[in-house]
Amino acid sequence: MDTARTEAAPAVPVQRRRGILQEATAVYAIWLREIKRAIRDKGQLIGGVSRPLLWVIILGIGLNPYFRGEVYGEVRFVVPYTYLQFIFPAVIVLNMMYTAVQSAISVIWDREFGFLREVLVSPMSRGAVLLGKVLGGTTVALFHGLIVLLLARFADVSLTLPRILSGLGMMFLVAFALTSLGVVIAGRMRTFEGFGVFSNLIILPLYFLSSSIFPLDPALTRAQTVVVYPEWLVLLVEWNPITYAVDALRGTFIGFNQFDPRLGPIILSVMAVIFFLVAWRDFRRA
Amino acid sequence: MSASPDLSIEVEDVRKRYGRTEALKGVSLEVRTGELFALLGPNGAGKTTLVHILCTIHRPDSGVARVAGIDVARNPVAARQNIGVVFQESTLDERLTVEENLEFHGLIYGVPTRLRKQRIRDLLEIVELSEWKGHVVRALSSGMKRRLEIARALVHDSQILFLDEPTVGLDAQSRERIWEHIATLQKERNLTILVTTHYLAEVEECDRICIVDHGEILAQGTPERLKTQHGYELLRVVPRTDGDREAILEKYAGRMVSENDELVMKSDGEVFVEQFLGSFGGRISAMNLEKPSLESVFLNLTGRELRDQTANARERTLAFGKRGGEHTR
Ligand SMILES: Nc1ncnc2c1ncn2[C@@H]1O[C@H](COP(=O)(O)OP(=O)(O)OP(=O)(O)O)[C@@H](O)[C@H]1O
Ligand SMILES: [Mg+2]
Repeated sequence: MDTARTEAAPAVPVQRRRGILQEATAVYAIWLREIKRAIRDKGQLIGGVSRPLLWVIILGIGLNPYFRGEVYGEVRFVVPYTYLQFIFPAVIVLNMMYTAVQSAISVIWDREFGFLREVLVSPMSRGAVLLGKVLGGTTVALFHGLIVLLLARFADVSLTLPRILSGLGMMFLVAFALTSLGVVIAGRMRTFEGFGVFSNLIILPLYFLSSSIFPLDPALTRAQTVVVYPEWLVLLVEWNPITYAVDALRGTFIGFNQFDPRLGPIILSVMAVIFFLVAWRDFRRA
Repeated sequence: MSASPDLSIEVEDVRKRYGRTEALKGVSLEVRTGELFALLGPNGAGKTTLVHILCTIHRPDSGVARVAGIDVARNPVAARQNIGVVFQESTLDERLTVEENLEFHGLIYGVPTRLRKQRIRDLLEIVELSEWKGHVVRALSSGMKRRLEIARALVHDSQILFLDEPTVGLDAQSRERIWEHIATLQKERNLTILVTTHYLAEVEECDRICIVDHGEILAQGTPERLKTQHGYELLRVVPRTDGDREAILEKYAGRMVSENDELVMKSDGEVFVEQFLGSFGGRISAMNLEKPSLESVFLNLTGRELRDQTANARERTLAFGKRGGEHTR
């Protein structure tokens, strides 16, 4: 009906069909904008550099000597790694979490400052808008993860090419999942109270509960662990998806897993897919 | 009714409500191809709501809206290819440069590379921003930002341009310049333009005007026709004291169209003015008699001058971002 009508009218301009190429170009445009904005945001860059320095160099080196147990008068590491090595993969996740939150906030500001409208009145599909946004955020997060990798030498983590490659794959999954999650949360926030809320209510709790800065001693059985730690803490850690992100990166970079090594990649992939789909559903409704 | 080739915009009995507020109560209008059409109305009249429906941001609750013959509710993506929009609030990315904003627009609309580069160059020339193309948008004045947005709306093959208050908050000189650019661009592309505005002086130049208030159309027509149909002479006076004010208000209650510091009343020629001066000549400190103008049409139809807005929660959030810039822009 509609097409017949428009063809009949000579004043109506040509309606070019949008092909996959045009959608891809549009995704690229959004991705590029995210990258440019991130590069020009000095505050974000400074945070991305100073955070790993604080966590690895100061906290890591400071706590390093305390990270060991004394068994039968013999000093040995409970976890067969130094604290620096132990915390290093977790700091990668932490840095990426902050970046993902930054993407989420940029979604809020795009909405509030109106830029989102410029995109929504364009013929590109909502899915493409979201994909561009998430891929852009993922790239920036990966970059911030890589900043931490530069400190590998100080943390006594040896990087081999296979480790770097599988680490990058893992980090991509983490970044993609976290950025999608950020977009989902941003889409549900009606008012914005500032970055501090995000940081204190979401990032830090998730981070501290991910067995990032203390191990649930793997030498102990589940029953023993619950004796050493309060049950609620163990439960929270086990239910926190970030735990498995940290565990996956630990497995990759220092070869140490607290949980079944297969669990990390599986949970990460599932998270990436689910969060993206939820974000997509939200975005199409908006 | 069917789409007609020389109508670029058709709106038939469109209604829209936000919760309790009925923003549009059955609006119908037609804009011919190549026309400069003005939508005039006080704050909250429903102008932006109508523009949002026409550019597919919102769906109408009922009624039909067509741009370039395409039903915006049924076929939004096709409609979007044909329209350019400048929203009331800026939608530029302040952190990107002038050129990057235009590039971004060209990319998401799928404008082929060579055409895109060419158009961006030409448009920057027309809106006199060529020298600024490498500057970050944040560094631009509000008038320049507006011009940039207008240029951006034309980077793709838009035939119909929506301008929602393109000159609001600008000084007289920038406003004039924007209108010059709009006129140039319209001629060059044979654009159909629908513009909303608060400034009565601006709509004098438009082909046709539509006055809206409270979601309803009060009158439509050429400026001349509206003036002869709905306009009248206005007598503006400033009373000397509060007592004088009361006295004038009492005597001419029926003629009063506005009661601020200045009292504005309908006049119908010399006789009335002489009569007024006879009784109140000594009790006023200033007086002005105006020919039938669009302002009188507006006052007559809406019963008021332009209202002021108060800040709502959303505007406060915006102000927060603009002030603090806490990881914002
Ligand atoms: N998103 C919304 N939610 C609730 N009410 C809304 C929304 N948008 C507009 N309204 C209400 O609808 C009415 C029409 O608003 P609209 O923005 O269309 O007016 P306008 O003519 O553009 O005014 P202005 O000159 O201030 O831009 C107003 O009463 C407004 O409060
Ligand atoms: Mg408006």
